[in-house]
Amino acid sequence: MLRDAWLVAGKDLRIEVRSKVALGQVAPFAFVVVLLFGLALGPAVGRGSVLSAAAPGLFWVAVLLATVLAVQRSFAVEAADGAADGLRLSGLDPAGVFLGKAAAVAGQLLVLELFLAAAVSLVYDRHLSALVVLAASCVTATIGLVAAGVLYGVVSMGARQRETLLPLLFFPLVAPILLGATKLWGEALAGAPGRGSGWLELLGAFAVAYCAIGVVAFGPLLEEA
Amino acid sequence: MNGYVEAGYIVGLGTLGIYAVSLLARERAARRRLGLSPVPSSRARPDHAGARRPRRGVELRERAAGETVGGRPEADGPQEQA
Amino acid sequence: MSPGAGPGGGRGTAVLRVLGLLGLVGVVATVWLGLWVTPPDRFMGNLVRLLYLHPAIAWVMYIAYGIAFLSSLLYLWPRTRALAWDRLAGASSEVGVVFTGLTLVTGSIWGRPTWGVWWTWDPLLTTTALLFVLYLGYLAVRQIPGEREARARRSAIAALVAFVDVPIVYFSVLWWRSLHQPPTVDDPVTGKTYVHGSMAWTLLLSFVALTLVYAWLLAHRYRLAALADLEEGEGLELAIAERRAEAGGVPARGEEPAGADLVGAAAGVPDPGARGPGAGR
Repeated sequence: MLRDAWLVAGKDLRIEVRSKVALGQVAPFAFVVVLLFGLALGPAVGRGSVLSAAAPGLFWVAVLLATVLAVQRSFAVEAADGAADGLRLSGLDPAGVFLGKAAAVAGQLLVLELFLAAAVSLVYDRHLSALVVLAASCVTATIGLVAAGVLYGVVSMGARQRETLLPLLFFPLVAPILLGATKLWGEALAGAPGRGSGWLELLGAFAVAYCAIGVVAFGPLLEEA
Repeated sequence: MNGYVEAGYIVGLGTLGIYAVSLLARERAARRRLGLSPVPSSRARPDHAGARRPRRGVELRERAAGETVGGRPEADGPQEQA
Repeated sequence: MSPGAGPGGGRGTAVLRVLGLLGLVGVVATVWLGLWVTPPDRFMGNLVRLLYLHPAIAWVMYIAYGIAFLSSLLYLWPRTRALAWDRLAGASSEVGVVFTGLTLVTGSIWGRPTWGVWWTWDPLLTTTALLFVLYLGYLAVRQIPGEREARARRSAIAALVAFVDVPIVYFSVLWWRSLHQPPTVDDPVTGKTYVHGSMAWTLLLSFVALTLVYAWLLAHRYRLAALADLEEGEGLELAIAERRAEAGGVPARGEEPAGADLVGAAAGVPDPGARGPGAGR
């Protein structure tokens, strides 16, 4: 299973290295979102301003939007030229395919989050502190996000209107992640990390639950998509 | 009363009523397309459209009653793939 | 859950009619008792009358999603797999979505004069709103084209995915709120220690009446789903069935899936005992 996951993740990442869609379109899109929030809530920055106070939430909303695009990209790759059939016939463990696709998207998103965090810190003038908490929440939240995203990505792969269906399915599902990750970031940036220490566990529970469902359910879903 | 109460009852029960009527209308339309009698009846009514074509109706019913996927090997178990 | 009709299609219809009638009578009685007979509340005044509607609708919402979840599980479980469960899950969630919308709207109408706002980020309200969109998404998944069994399995998995989220959403919203300020809204049902006499009876009646209405709606929505499946399978299968009937043999019945009684009701053809020519020979 893990070997298959490794293969699939490697394939997806190689496609990204060659096509540079995440780099050339998803990442710029996330920056555009950050700029749009600035236009909508600015121009005041610094301590006490709306932008600075809302920075954790805005960061995570931008991440959520980028996740949908990344997941869509991950399945658009399979939709072209009957690649999905190849995947089905390849004999790879479907659980491995799930983990591999999720890992590839997660890897891209984590890099994106790194740059996005820097951008948010700069343009909203919010100093980043408690970096360990920030990183831990990023990793846990991202695992949950991509697990849910890849699961719904394959569900909506068969739909003709998948571009509109995926966001509808995905956003309500990951609302707890948005809440948890935003809270963690808010506390960390306010200099009081760990005040509501249940959040990291909640993010972890979400990630475990959806990884487990994905490992079990991805096979039948892939077969049908 | 005070307007809110009336509004609540009208919206709540009105929506349910509209939904119920729409279900009945859709059911009727589906029956017509299938060539069944527009209203399912408790007794056989020879003057009804459905009764004029009894064979088809019976077949449809038998087919519906016998419908199951469990017996088909390719439709078994979600974990089978793994 | 569903009307206990026998295998005869006709009896299913009769039971369903009685069910619908009972539900209608119950709702009319609730409205009469709620709006005219019961006294206004000491604290809430006439607004208490909305509580004969709103909690019962919310209650039906929980039942509907519970049944949808259970039938999805029964579909996924290989031993009980039958399209009947998929239809039941789809029917129950659609009715559930209607009741969720009504829970939000009637709650909002009650909240405006009571709390002074149409909406508050209370855990229960927020969870309900997310539940509404989650299950709208599930209904959209059901529309994705594909082979019938494939669609059923995909829908069942999607129902599972959505249902697992509900407790996570609820607790996250609960924590989210409690970190800001304690929830200011008490549950309207548990918060009422002053219910007595005619008010309690009306409240109880409203629960019974709307549950009956739910059962009626569910059965009709189920029939519609069964008809849609029949329609989808029309072409080839119908031709085969007609040839078989011409040959004079009544086709052997497959194993009856659980809930086949409703399927029988769906086709709604004459009772087996009294069916027309061409059958039973």
